[in-house]
Amino acid sequence: MSNSELIERYLNAVKLWLPRKQQMDILAELSEDLHSQIEDRESAASRPLNEDELVALLKQRGSPMRIASGYIPEQRLINPAMLPIYWMVLRIVLLWVLAPILVTVSFGPIFRSGHPLMAFMRFMAASWQAPFFVIGIITTIFFLLDRYQDQWVDRWDPRKLPRVPASHPQMQWYNDFAGFAFGMAAFTFWAVIMRHRSEFVFDTGFRIGLAPIWGQLYWLILALMLMRALVNLYCFVRPAWNAARSWIRLALDGVEIVIALLLLLRVANWVDIAGPNVAPTDAAKLVQLVNGMMQVSLILIPVITAFDVYRQGRLLRRAKNGQSAPILTLS
Amino acid sequence: MHTNGTNSGQFENLRLELRRGCLAVAVLGQLRTELYGYAIRKALSEQGLAIDENTLYPLLRRLESQGLLVSQWREEDKRNKRFYRISPVGEEVLASLLAEWRQMNSALERILAVPAGKTEEQIQ
Repeated sequence: MSNSELIERYLNAVKLWLPRKQQMDILAELSEDLHSQIEDRESAASRPLNEDELVALLKQRGSPMRIASGYIPEQRLINPAMLPIYWMVLRIVLLWVLAPILVTVSFGPIFRSGHPLMAFMRFMAASWQAPFFVIGIITTIFFLLDRYQDQWVDRWDPRKLPRVPASHPQMQWYNDFAGFAFGMAAFTFWAVIMRHRSEFVFDTGFRIGLAPIWGQLYWLILALMLMRALVNLYCFVRPAWNAARSWIRLALDGVEIVIALLLLLRVANWVDIAGPNVAPTDAAKLVQLVNGMMQVSLILIPVITAFDVYRQGRLLRRAKNGQSAPILTLS
Repeated sequence: MHTNGTNSGQFENLRLELRRGCLAVAVLGQLRTELYGYAIRKALSEQGLAIDENTLYPLLRRLESQGLLVSQWREEDKRNKRFYRISPVGEEVLASLLAEWRQMNSALERILAVPAGKTEEQIQ
């Protein structure tokens, strides 16, 4: 191969990685530098460089990708300062939330099946995307945090920083952590198991059908679960109370009450149950029992949430009246 | 326990950090005279500050985009070359950087003049 062809190939390979707008300009300069260096070497040796010498020179300059990397503006997906929290959240969600859920969900079908290995393979084939889905969502959240944090990170005032808790809120700390872990568990379950799901069918032919309203409210419920978990994570990382936190909790409480009411006001059943070996009268009783329990749960949700509305409202009122000390350890 | 490999790796990282800022000052200083890329490399190298092309050209572009350098393509020895020189803003920044450099250097000299384990008051 001729020297000029080697140089052409090298520069063309560099070009592939360069920012489009500056490609020709950078290449012209690199080409000039390379030819100057070759001329210098040739005049020192009093002869043209042979192919091996030119290859050695190009290798010394570095691979095309490495050369081009110097011209590419520094880019990042996640702020390095947030990486430790990112890894912590990923670890918690994958190891302590997703893995137990997958094990729990797979346990029954695998051990009831006559072919456990096949059942395991079937389960793996159906659920292999779950970790990627979860990683994708968490990464997107941190990316958005990084993208938009510049808008508020520099707008700060020492007088508006959260107060230091009057006492160590150990109990609250555990509550917030548990809230985050269970919140992510619920979110993962909803995101992975309930996605595009209109019924659960078991090996025995037993099936639990879900009313269409679950599909209609799917994304709203998913977003609420994620927001709840994130607020708990924020409270866990930043234990001191602030007004914004209470307002966000109030907004989430509002959404939760609306969802519960939408579900409650629905006339028909929330789930239907049927099975090949279940008599119609027994199935009807079972459906009545399960839906009755769901009705009680759906009534309890707004009641419990209303307590939180009251608590957050009280915190905000007390903060407004300057009675800050007792509320510092509460979220 | 640190191995020699770890120590040399740490030294290399610190050396690169130390060089990074110095190179920008050196390039600005060198470009008080107009030069093209390869000639800048040679001039710096002859004065004991070798810099490879993968560091120099991105640095030149960065300094130019910051308005500290100006450049123009010109033909010389039958080849098109991009000539750089320091801009008026660059000259002001260079003067400030050199003042900062001298201040840091004299502070460093004072710090290192005190033997390890002693304070300046103990010496006096």
